[in-house]
Amino acid sequence: MGDIRQSLLPRDVLSAAKELLYHLDIYICNLVQSGRQPPQVDTKTLELVEEFILHAPKDRNAPPRRMNALQELQLLEIMCSCFQEQSRDTVRQLMFSALFSLQGNQADESRMALLGKLVSMAIAVGRVPILECAATWLQRTHRVYCVRLARVLVDDYCSLVPGSVSTLYNIQSSSPRFCCQFITAVATLYDLTSEELTPPLELLQMIVSWLQDDPRLVLITFLNTPLSGSQPISSLDLTPLGGLVRWCVKAPLAYRRDKKQSLTNGSSECEPDVGPLFSALHLSVLQVFMLLPNILNEKGLFGRLALLQMEPLAALTSDLSRLLDQADKHTHSSSTDTHALSQLALDRLAQALQVAMANGALLCSREDLRAICSRLPHNNLLQLVMSGPVMYFNNIHTPPLAFSPHASHSPITTHPTHPTHPTHPTHPTHTPLASHPSSHPQYPAQPFLSGMPFPFRPSH
Amino acid sequence: MNIIFIHKNGHINYFVSANMSAQKDCEFLVKRARELVSEDPCAAKAWLITARTLYPADFNIQYEMYIIERNAERTASAGRLLYDMFINFPEQPIVWREISVITAALRSDCQDKHAQFLRGLFETLPGRVQCEMLLKATEQCFNTLEKAEMLLLLLKRFPESVVQHGVNLGETLLEAEASENLETPVNCFRKLFVCDVLPLIINNVDMRLPASLLQKYMLKAAEFYIGYVTRSQEVGSLKSPGVSRGSQRYVIDGLSEKSSVVAEPWERLLDILAVVGARCEWQGDKGQRSYVDMLQRVKELCCYLPGLEGETRSRCCSQVVICAALVLFRSAFLYVSTVQPALFQGVNALSSGPWILLEDLSSVYSDVEVERGAVKHAHKKRKLADGREKTMSSDDEEGLSKGRGRHILVNKTEMPSWSETLDSFRTARESWDLLHSHDGLETEFKKICASWKTDSWLWFRIFLTDMIIYQGQYRKALSSLHQMTAVQQPQPGQQSPSGQASLEHHRALIQQASCHYALGEYRVYTHTHTHTHTHIHSYINTHACMVTSTRVPLVLSILGNDLRLLPCTSKAILPFCLQLMLACFKLRAFTDNRDDLSLGHVVVLLQYDWPQGEMLFLKAVDKICQQGSFQYENFFNYVTNIDMLEEFAYLRTPEGGRIQLELLPNQGMLIKPHLLLPPSPLTHESPLLHPPPQVYVVCLSVYSCRHHTVTRGITKGVKEDFRLAMERQVSRCGENLLSVLHRFCINEKIIIIQSLP
Repeated sequence: MGDIRQSLLPRDVLSAAKELLYHLDIYICNLVQSGRQPPQVDTKTLELVEEFILHAPKDRNAPPRRMNALQELQLLEIMCSCFQEQSRDTVRQLMFSALFSLQGNQADESRMALLGKLVSMAIAVGRVPILECAATWLQRTHRVYCVRLARVLVDDYCSLVPGSVSTLYNIQSSSPRFCCQFITAVATLYDLTSEELTPPLELLQMIVSWLQDDPRLVLITFLNTPLSGSQPISSLDLTPLGGLVRWCVKAPLAYRRDKKQSLTNGSSECEPDVGPLFSALHLSVLQVFMLLPNILNEKGLFGRLALLQMEPLAALTSDLSRLLDQADKHTHSSSTDTHALSQLALDRLAQALQVAMANGALLCSREDLRAICSRLPHNNLLQLVMSGPVMYFNNIHTPPLAFSPHASHSPITTHPTHPTHPTHPTHPTHTPLASHPSSHPQYPAQPFLSGMPFPFRPSH
Repeated sequence: MNIIFIHKNGHINYFVSANMSAQKDCEFLVKRARELVSEDPCAAKAWLITARTLYPADFNIQYEMYIIERNAERTASAGRLLYDMFINFPEQPIVWREISVITAALRSDCQDKHAQFLRGLFETLPGRVQCEMLLKATEQCFNTLEKAEMLLLLLKRFPESVVQHGVNLGETLLEAEASENLETPVNCFRKLFVCDVLPLIINNVDMRLPASLLQKYMLKAAEFYIGYVTRSQEVGSLKSPGVSRGSQRYVIDGLSEKSSVVAEPWERLLDILAVVGARCEWQGDKGQRSYVDMLQRVKELCCYLPGLEGETRSRCCSQVVICAALVLFRSAFLYVSTVQPALFQGVNALSSGPWILLEDLSSVYSDVEVERGAVKHAHKKRKLADGREKTMSSDDEEGLSKGRGRHILVNKTEMPSWSETLDSFRTARESWDLLHSHDGLETEFKKICASWKTDSWLWFRIFLTDMIIYQGQYRKALSSLHQMTAVQQPQPGQQSPSGQASLEHHRALIQQASCHYALGEYRVYTHTHTHTHTHIHSYINTHACMVTSTRVPLVLSILGNDLRLLPCTSKAILPFCLQLMLACFKLRAFTDNRDDLSLGHVVVLLQYDWPQGEMLFLKAVDKICQQGSFQYENFFNYVTNIDMLEEFAYLRTPEGGRIQLELLPNQGMLIKPHLLLPPSPLTHESPLLHPPPQVYVVCLSVYSCRHHTVTRGITKGVKEDFRLAMERQVSRCGENLLSVLHRFCINEKIIIIQSLP
């Protein structure tokens, strides 16, 4: 295919690109026909793509070939119809990778730029085959680039053109796979560490509404990925669950920070309350967890595949702990409000951990939980989740909630750093007995009995 | 901030049993969810989801989840949670309470949003669970009706359960009906059995039922539907006379108003008959098209009956009897619903009043000689037709019953549905005849009648009476009418303001009179009934009631074969009564023996419908002329017809033949006639009793020529008192003829009775 370079050189940029796309199509068709496994596009061809479509300079001497905006639009249109008309998935997929697989070279920048425009256009005009290819791309590519693509799309549809978000909304039905990967990418992108990394309201509303329509949407990639398929290193998570949990847990604190900032800036614009949105999103996430046991069992993965990884969770809890500290320090005026929001964040964390664990999305012991949550302030529910449910002696129905065969109810004393240890000498009992309906003063203070998994219960 | 947490962390080192502790956890979790549910339902649900993963065996957590979804009326999720509870906590009373609420909604016809939600909720459950729920809910029911309704829900949803429970349910309902000793087949148990259970049983292809059982069920259904259609409205009309009868609500005891309604009962009955017929392997095509077709088919079938034996014969018998009986009752109902609509609740009684089947007397004005001849002639003809030597005597009802071709005259504008009504009457008679054409059929039919107690069906007796009147079996008809009058005798104080009950009561009396007349028994009998507070009644009381005391040797069916269906109003009945009396006196007046009293009565009665009776009047004048004298002291009290007065005035003149007329009553009567007369009934305004317009016309024309008339009488030199009486009488020409005739009937009843044979 290298021999066509000479015929391309004299052409103008657009017709050269067109010609190359045409030849690429034929070349890949032959490649697939030949049955060579795996079909591999040769380097020469990739170089031609870089030279005539992405316009990466071949060598320093060559004059840079550039397309004007109109030519670029025309090229995008040609590419759109090229993918649309190709009926064979394999060919289409190979073509997409030949064009957009990152090569770790100079051309990657223009590659990303062109990809962003192509996908954005495909969303606008509903080119499903391109979205499907892009979904695969999002599965195979390093998350840094995935996030970049996501950002382009969010900018295009949520920021640049007001009202165009409804177009993006439709990808849920046109290409659920792409939609799922898109959610994973934005959930990775927006970590709520800064205002810039806080999801725009339109995006949030859209995701909430997607999930309310069908919570299974976020599991599409996971459902379609074969068991053997090893995930490329540093690619996006298999599901957006981890990212969404992070959103929901951090949101009460992150948005309060934003609010405070906007107040200090004197901006009086009235942002709609995102609280209910995150509440709904959080519920959807929990509902997705509830779907997992069946799916995992069907795939024979129950107890073997952790859709929530411990490391990001540990990062989340330490992040949260830091945020809570900050909140504690900076707020004096509205401490009740702050306290409520902090508790909300902790409640959600506890709920996500518990439900994920119970449904096989999180594979760890209660002890592991206590370890990663050790620095967090007290929260009744979190306390309950860390200690685990009391096992009734006469109740045989309660299934095991942790997948670690041991230690789910190990005594708290094995965890000296736990801040809420009831017998900790620095924390004497403060709650007045009278106001504590669950207190039973007639029972002697006694740390443990054998068979008693966890000596204290939350103060209800 | 930490301090707060430490405070929160102020746990007490205490020992509680694990159970207690777990319960505290659950209470805590549910409490948090409850606190949140109004402001942030999503958060509340998140709490409960978490709680459930912690304590999956805790009922309250799941119940709370369910309650949130149920209160938000989210059908799918509430259904899912109910399912979980039903599976995991089958012994929880709260679950059962919930299920009974839902099943109650299923049974009820309530259309409110919540009931619809509950029904939708039930629909989301898997069939197996629905089935189990209904069965269990049924087990928990102690009330037979509720239990049956519940089981019915099950059978309707799961046809396969019909095989197991269908017949049992049916029998339970029939037993309940029997044990409750209900007086009517239109009761809640039967309704459920007939309308709901029976179709399920007979339409289920997997059910194999013996023919005898199917026929038993068929008859149960027929009894119900007939009872429903012919339900009377005794209570309603008395309590609220102002309410239109058609819109009256009908509720079967134990059922709701909506489920008390049975749509198109006759059609439903036909449907059941079709299925039962097919299952019992009846002859003829499977789908019974209509009742009329059905009668035709069983008529044909009947021809083969004598040749059949054993099993086939009894099957054929059953088919004929059941089909013909249903046609009979339906057609009889249709007939009676026109003739006596007020009897039935389902029929709009306002559309028309009651009607009455009477002998046609329209030929009463014809010449008595001609008439006799005609009757004799008819008699001969009949004899010839029968080909037997038989005399027509009153006892010879056999002969009269052959009167198949009798016509029934109806005023077609007054009864728009005359054709259908007469058709129904005919179809009913044909069915009756068919049912009595073989001993086997009659026995079977009588069994049905006995078990349904048709003897007590007033409406059916009305049909039967009309039928035997039609057949000319007047003696039988009279005894039937006697029984009816006894049944219908209005209780004092129960008098309905419209006089309806009384009018219907008199309906039977008038019919008796007609029968007696047809039998040739003319003894007017003014019965002692005291309900004369309205003129309608007084007319009818006075005129209509003829009861036999003696038998007239001259027995003829004087008026031929025709019958007449008249509206039961005084306007229509009074002429009949007058004609009836006229017919009676006419016979006596024109015999060879002199009977001035009867002749006078005839003259009085001929005033009505003048000049219809002109021929007869002239005949009476002829007879007077032949006699040379005439004595009738009531003349000036009741004869106000100017033509007649003129004629009588003329009779005294030399030109008229100087007839000796003794028409004057005693002096007092002439001077103060109204002292001796009862108060005029017409002082009460009644649209029904206004005399026909032609009466006024006659009167007006009479007034205009009065002078001429009177002078003609006086100037011929008649006696002074007669002259005065005539003058006075001419001045009375404007009097209402009906009230004059009414007074005649009231005042002269004793003479009238005595002057009858």
